Amino acid sequence: MSKITDMTKTHNWSGQKLVSIEHMLFEAPRTKHFMTGSEVLKEAVKRATVDASVSYPITPQSEAAHLIGELWAEGYVGVYFRGENEFGVMSEVAGCSMAGARTVTTTSGPGTLRAMENFAMWSGTRAPMQLCLMARGINSPLSIQPDNLEVQYLLETGCMIWYAENVQELFDMSLAAFTVAEQPDVHVPIITAVDGFFVSHTREAVELPDDDIALQPYNPYAAPLPPIDSEMPPGRFLRDPFVMKSNYISYATHASWQWEIRSAVERSKPYARKLLNGLVHTSGNLDAEIAFVACGTASNQAKEGQRELEKLGIKSKVIKLRTIRPFPEEELIKELDGIKHVFVPEFNVVGWLANEVKAKLYGKVDVNIHAGPKVAGGMSLPAEAIIQEVMEVVNPGKGA
Amino acid sequence: MAKDSIKIRMPALGGQGAVTAAHIAATAADTEGYYAVSNPFFGAEKRMAPSESYARIGTVPIYDRGEVIYPDIVMIYHPQVITMGKSYTMPFYAGIKENGLVIINSDKDLLTAEDRKTLDDLNVKVLTRDFTQFAIEQAGTELATNMAMLGALFGALGTVSKPAIEEGIKDRFLKKYTASGGTATLDSVIEKKFKKKMDLIQKNLDTASAAFDLTAEWCKEVGFEQMLEAPGK
Amino acid sequence: MALDIYKVNPEFRDIMPKEIIDLEENATWAQNQEKPRGIKELPETKELLEEHSLCAGCPEAATLRYVLSALPKPEETVIVNSTGCTSLMFPHIALHTVHSLFGNQNAVASGIKRVLEWRFPDKQKDVVVLAGDGATVDIGLDYTLQSFFRQEKITTICFDNEVYANTGGQESGMTAKGQVFKMAPTGKKFDKVPMWELAKTSGCHYSVNMTGSAPKAVAKAVREAILVAREIGPTYLNIYTPCILEIGLSANEGLGEMKAGDKHRFEFYKHVSPEAEEYLKKCKKEGIL
Repeated sequence: MSKITDMTKTHNWSGQKLVSIEHMLFEAPRTKHFMTGSEVLKEAVKRATVDASVSYPITPQSEAAHLIGELWAEGYVGVYFRGENEFGVMSEVAGCSMAGARTVTTTSGPGTLRAMENFAMWSGTRAPMQLCLMARGINSPLSIQPDNLEVQYLLETGCMIWYAENVQELFDMSLAAFTVAEQPDVHVPIITAVDGFFVSHTREAVELPDDDIALQPYNPYAAPLPPIDSEMPPGRFLRDPFVMKSNYISYATHASWQWEIRSAVERSKPYARKLLNGLVHTSGNLDAEIAFVACGTASNQAKEGQRELEKLGIKSKVIKLRTIRPFPEEELIKELDGIKHVFVPEFNVVGWLANEVKAKLYGKVDVNIHAGPKVAGGMSLPAEAIIQEVMEVVNPGKGA
Repeated sequence: MAKDSIKIRMPALGGQGAVTAAHIAATAADTEGYYAVSNPFFGAEKRMAPSESYARIGTVPIYDRGEVIYPDIVMIYHPQVITMGKSYTMPFYAGIKENGLVIINSDKDLLTAEDRKTLDDLNVKVLTRDFTQFAIEQAGTELATNMAMLGALFGALGTVSKPAIEEGIKDRFLKKYTASGGTATLDSVIEKKFKKKMDLIQKNLDTASAAFDLTAEWCKEVGFEQMLEAPGK
Repeated sequence: MALDIYKVNPEFRDIMPKEIIDLEENATWAQNQEKPRGIKELPETKELLEEHSLCAGCPEAATLRYVLSALPKPEETVIVNSTGCTSLMFPHIALHTVHSLFGNQNAVASGIKRVLEWRFPDKQKDVVVLAGDGATVDIGLDYTLQSFFRQEKITTICFDNEVYANTGGQESGMTAKGQVFKMAPTGKKFDKVPMWELAKTSGCHYSVNMTGSAPKAVAKAVREAILVAREIGPTYLNIYTPCILEIGLSANEGLGEMKAGDKHRFEFYKHVSPEAEEYLKKCKKEGIL
């Protein structure tokens, strides 16, 4: 194992050269590899000067979690162990982050729900840990495939939520995530969501910088709350149970604190815009009247659908949302200029993204928003289904 | 001009029975034919910690919930509410409405000149009296302070009769009552003190009744007008 | 560095309340002591607890004061607390403390301890869990025992009042069989959980069951437990601190109840593993016990 004392001003404890996030993401030369999402998460963590990680098995994130363990054995990650269940793991992660560590963990579906109480505690504690969420169906009945309903449960936890579309995006996003989450004027947890199996277990081409460089370490003394390490005067807020002083103080603090957390998430926008190259990404026919608004695999499928529709003479564009929290309202409104029909394809029975889009756009954009097509349980969403849905709306009665 | 509904805020200390008082006040008002609601507000259950309760009484249905932020009547159950700031509002009468009433349990006048001016400007009357001593004299125990305060409240309102108050007290102490841990413990302490439950009821009634009369007298003296309209029945 | 964090900025000294100045000038920080800290200093020094808002006469409050006076190095101690009456005192403690979720205290403590060892390999930082019986044995049992299985180098102190006091007096796993509390109107149906024995079989190298009746005994157990946790493995202290409110006692009857406990249900139990025994002998020789 490594020792933190091996870190110098120019190199971290595993001998990697410390570079800026801009260099890592935009300047360092890259070489082509062919790997799965789980493997790429290991590559990202390897280059991120990560202090701690805690893991627990659940499909489909077990591989990513154990690969981070290998990084620990190889000396890249400082602290690592297997926790007892997801609630325990997320509390252990909270402890790690509060004590000043750059911390990353993973979970999926039922594991997310088991840990649920922790996520609002994370954001309330202003700890900048990263959770790589590999979406999977929630019981009952049990399904291990990538239904992403669990993301809806997380929407109001006060954490940032980004959504990676493919293996490449997962790599770049998870590195940018540490940087943005740790900004002193942001400093809230970040969830990088990605679809299980369709990304975690799918092998595809990626471009990676060499592994002899790594991000600058986390500086817990730049945080808005002091870390719990007896090296700074104790912070007397938020980690205290205020109700024990007075109900009045506790509700007033809770209210102002919660507002502040939501503001902090909004303040992440300029950093995220820069490091993600935009909070949304648009592709396809830019002069179309039909648009798909999607995230994750649904965006991939929409792109497939867009290509096929174009062959049928129907123009459409795909507006991929990279961030869900903060919601990229400004960017989306701009991209919807000239659009008449919006389709929101999704991998869940509720259509939570369509609900978000409708809520945010109400009264601001005059478009017809169609929540669908939706598939649930993590079944696949072929382009044909998307095309059919579009046809039924724009060519009603005439069939696909 | 009497109103169709009033809100009462009772800042007290844990263990004094303010929550019980609010409960009885609402029950009595309900018996008299009013719409009435009562609720407590406290953090962890601790003796001598701030403990506030509220009662809302009216001739119209009551929708308002939670803390009473704009009270018509404020009842201070213990001097420490003011002297040690054991209150959720600062000053203790914050939000009080015009023509309101403040009842303070204290053997000393605790108002500053500024307090007096502010309250005068709002035409708010203040009754300061050592109700704890009063309770000891009437019932032999300071745990009856809340009964004295209740009597004072109804003496000032004038539209809830003594039989209705008796009904409220009986309802609380005779029926099986779901109480918090601290309250249940105090209940059993007070029960041990009185041989029969009826003795306890009678002493409570006597204390409330005596305070009722005393306050009704005081209202005439200071020209405190009827605040709440009589129930429609 | 440690004591520096309690130093007052010289420019603000004249407006600081006396209690804060006292903390800097008159508290028994380990750095300032030659001998191990203990009860004897309590009457003359500034305690690390400013005040508390527990009921008058609460045995938990007294016992916490003994615990704080016995920490081997308070300026380098992080205390992890949990929801319950114990958390009423935590906003008033001068040290780094954390209150997270009900029952997760040992999990949070595990994360903190491991990261502090990683970030400060050359410093001795103690992580101590202090929670009630509900947090330790019921809702947190999984995390408490698992931290023992994993051999986390932390000390777990349970203030056992055999009831969920802060929520109004409900039955807990540590309630004695037959005792009537809320949610057990006809008496608890199963035995008190022998947490101190579970601690032993789960991997604790030092496990004690006692009451808070004797300050010096509490202080000794705390010192030993923390020292063992530094070098050997997890340690557990179960301390009976009765809830006088829920069992109908008055403010000055708590001590008598604990003394009665010493004789019957809380007869002193102590388990020390051979390695821990060795280590404590060494500490005694070096004068740090």
